[in-house]
Amino acid sequence: MKKLFFVLFSLTINVDTFAAFESTYEPLQSEKILFINGNILDGEGNELLDTDLLIADGKIIAIGKGISVDDKDVKIIDAKNKWITPGIIDIHSHMGVYPAPSVRTSSDGNEATSPVTAEVWAEHSMWVQDPQYALALKGGITTFHVLPGSANLIGGRGVTVKNLQRNTIQSMKYPDAKHSLKMACGENPKRVYGNRGQAPSTRMGNFAGYRKAWIEAENYLNKLEAYDAKSDEEKMVESPPKRDLRLDTLSDVLKDEILVHIHCYRAEEMALMIDVAKEFNYKITAFHHGVEAYKIADLLADNGICGALWADWWGFKHEAYDMVQANIAIVDQARGGKGCAIVHSDDERGIQRLNQEAAKARAAGNKAGYDISKARAMNWITSNPAKAAGIYDETGSLVAGKNADVVLWSDDPFSVYSLAEQVFIDGALAFDRNTGFGPVSDFDVGIVDPREDRVND
Amino acid sequence: MIRIIYFLSLCFISISAVSQTIVIKGGEIHTGLNQESFIGDILIEGDTILEVSTKPLKADVVVDASNKIVTPGVIAPDTQIGILEIGAISETRDGDSNMYSMGFSVFDAINPNSTLIPWNRSNGVTSAITLPDFNWDPLSGMASYFLLDGSLRVNGVPDVSLTGEIGAVSSGSRAESLILLKDLLEFASTLDEKDISSSKKISEVMEDFEVADLMELQPRDVIALYNLLNNKLPLVIKTNRASDILKLIDIKKLYGLNLILMSAQEAELVKGEIAENNIPVIVNPFDNIPDSFDELASNIRIAASLEEAGIKVMFSESRTHNYHLIRQGAGNAVANGMSYTGAIMALTSNVAKSFNIADRGILKKGMKADIVIWEDDPLEPATFPTKVFIDGNDMDLTTRSSRLTERYTDKRDLPNTYK
Repeated sequence: MKKLFFVLFSLTINVDTFAAFESTYEPLQSEKILFINGNILDGEGNELLDTDLLIADGKIIAIGKGISVDDKDVKIIDAKNKWITPGIIDIHSHMGVYPAPSVRTSSDGNEATSPVTAEVWAEHSMWVQDPQYALALKGGITTFHVLPGSANLIGGRGVTVKNLQRNTIQSMKYPDAKHSLKMACGENPKRVYGNRGQAPSTRMGNFAGYRKAWIEAENYLNKLEAYDAKSDEEKMVESPPKRDLRLDTLSDVLKDEILVHIHCYRAEEMALMIDVAKEFNYKITAFHHGVEAYKIADLLADNGICGALWADWWGFKHEAYDMVQANIAIVDQARGGKGCAIVHSDDERGIQRLNQEAAKARAAGNKAGYDISKARAMNWITSNPAKAAGIYDETGSLVAGKNADVVLWSDDPFSVYSLAEQVFIDGALAFDRNTGFGPVSDFDVGIVDPREDRVND
Repeated sequence: MIRIIYFLSLCFISISAVSQTIVIKGGEIHTGLNQESFIGDILIEGDTILEVSTKPLKADVVVDASNKIVTPGVIAPDTQIGILEIGAISETRDGDSNMYSMGFSVFDAINPNSTLIPWNRSNGVTSAITLPDFNWDPLSGMASYFLLDGSLRVNGVPDVSLTGEIGAVSSGSRAESLILLKDLLEFASTLDEKDISSSKKISEVMEDFEVADLMELQPRDVIALYNLLNNKLPLVIKTNRASDILKLIDIKKLYGLNLILMSAQEAELVKGEIAENNIPVIVNPFDNIPDSFDELASNIRIAASLEEAGIKVMFSESRTHNYHLIRQGAGNAVANGMSYTGAIMALTSNVAKSFNIADRGILKKGMKADIVIWEDDPLEPATFPTKVFIDGNDMDLTTRSSRLTERYTDKRDLPNTYK
């Protein structure tokens, strides 16, 4: 009898541990490449002029001057007068969940049916044939994070994906990257639900909503932990707490297994959200949009929270009215440079030129009196978003041992005239401007002229 | 005595205002014409450019522009500057009319104290065309042109063009919109000066046209229709699909319209016919996304491709608050094949010419002195203007944004509200 119980129990375990929706990502065939004499911005704050970069087996092998390799298989790319950076990472994208064409039938980014929908996952909405991924790739984007929209207080799980377009979302998912939890402050949730005569209809209603949800999550987690603490014998006679998808997500946040990303514009709301996080003992990874982040830049730095921001968007809502172009620079330079600034897009056009957005933000910062180097500003679109996505150990900077996510630029990437010539993901060429090599989504096949692919440039 | 001094001082002010000349010295001048840039001087007196020369010019006030770039002020062709403060707050928007159609003028709504004006000015935009909302009518209201000088009495020209939109609709058919456009123009073509001489006359002619009743046209709508055909008012039509563009070209030919295409994401597919019919096109150089099934041919090289076909190109930007970003758009157009001179023209003289603004958009003798001095290449978004002149006036470049920046980079240990 005991044996039978044991068998049943282990079967249950097997079912429970099947990791649904796990990444099946496989890189393309990588090459051994030595880039010689390039100007490198390494994503660690360094500008290395006339420097070589060696990649092989999908990894960065070496970076330095005069690297010599005694291997016939190594392909040499002359990067003289060209620039090399890590693959660009966008921490805020809705590609796939708000694809092009933006038809209602495929606009799947906001489950705006309840203020707390922690149970939904952005990856279950993503359309893999969205022609926008390829456009972003041509702007140097090798990794991006897709979030649910901001209609809800708690909108659901976001997902980090490699920008290698394929036929399943599992095959695009960044292996072992943590999910995010998308939360939203301010006007959007209170407008969406207030207009329906339901809570929240005010900012104070928003905060009550977050706290109620976290109280539920704490109770759920306590039950789970209490059950886990039971002996095997007890577990045999007592069934585990009923699984709840919504609370699974929230309790994973409390267990530090999911990263919290919050859409929040106003300074005072960000400060209040930090208190809610402390009240329930979870960490906020980044505030997104944060048009007023500059007003509390020190507070963000003190709490190790990144500001994922635009260079210059403003005025579309009252909470986005107090724009300063130095916002990103002020967040970056807080507490003597301890701040974490990220340039994000939240936009299918902006994602194609995050380098230009970083250039604007840097110029505005320097105009305001800072002295921010290009190398430092490059971190805003590489290593800092990698940290915020929890993948910094693997990508986001050109350091030996990391994944060879590399962009070769025709010119200084802080110039509007600079174009990504070649983009490598895990050491494999994903896009080549000169040969036209690159992905073509099924959407683009034969849709304008049946004999041709749609021009997706 | 006091009165005499007051009188004399007034004389002095007025004399000095007229006689004081300014020279912008030694800048790399891009005139806005189809010509190479050159190093030279620009002499300004009052609101007018007296001379542009490669030879040194003298004046009372010298503004050094050496190692800097000088262009005409940017003219923004498709904005809502002045009639929109905060997008999501409808009370701050004045682009729509419940009463009027094509006769709706936005001019009286323009707010010279809008924060969008100093912001865009400090980024090099010196004048703008402000359009009413596009609401999917084939013909809607009238756009106004005005200077971003912040003058409380708005310096500008009301009703410089009509607007309209043709394309995908969520209910009904684009064919219906095209028929309606033709019916309205057919009605307009029957009007003569007598018909619009009084409200009574207008009411009489309207009775003969069912479409006037159907559209609930008001007398001022009928006058706008008359002006469209008889005064050759530009008609800005927002449209995208290649087949729609061809239909509009047919309609232009039939009624002799002064047509300007806007958005026009599939213009490349019919660029030969657009060029042949001298139709200027306003494009968003950032917009390479196939946002709808009307825009499948959309791509990043549109500006270069239209320029190559000999089409007069202008630039638009989807966000009115940052409309100045059309120069970043222009930079992207150049990065993707457009000529540099063509991109500068697209920001300046092409707009002036397309909208019949005869005295602006070009740096040459006799033009109004709307001039920007840039610290570096104006098509680089990281470049800022160092000086902006509107009508010869050296404009203040302070913005609400620059004030907030100062406040929050002030290191004194005080609450922000006391800085």
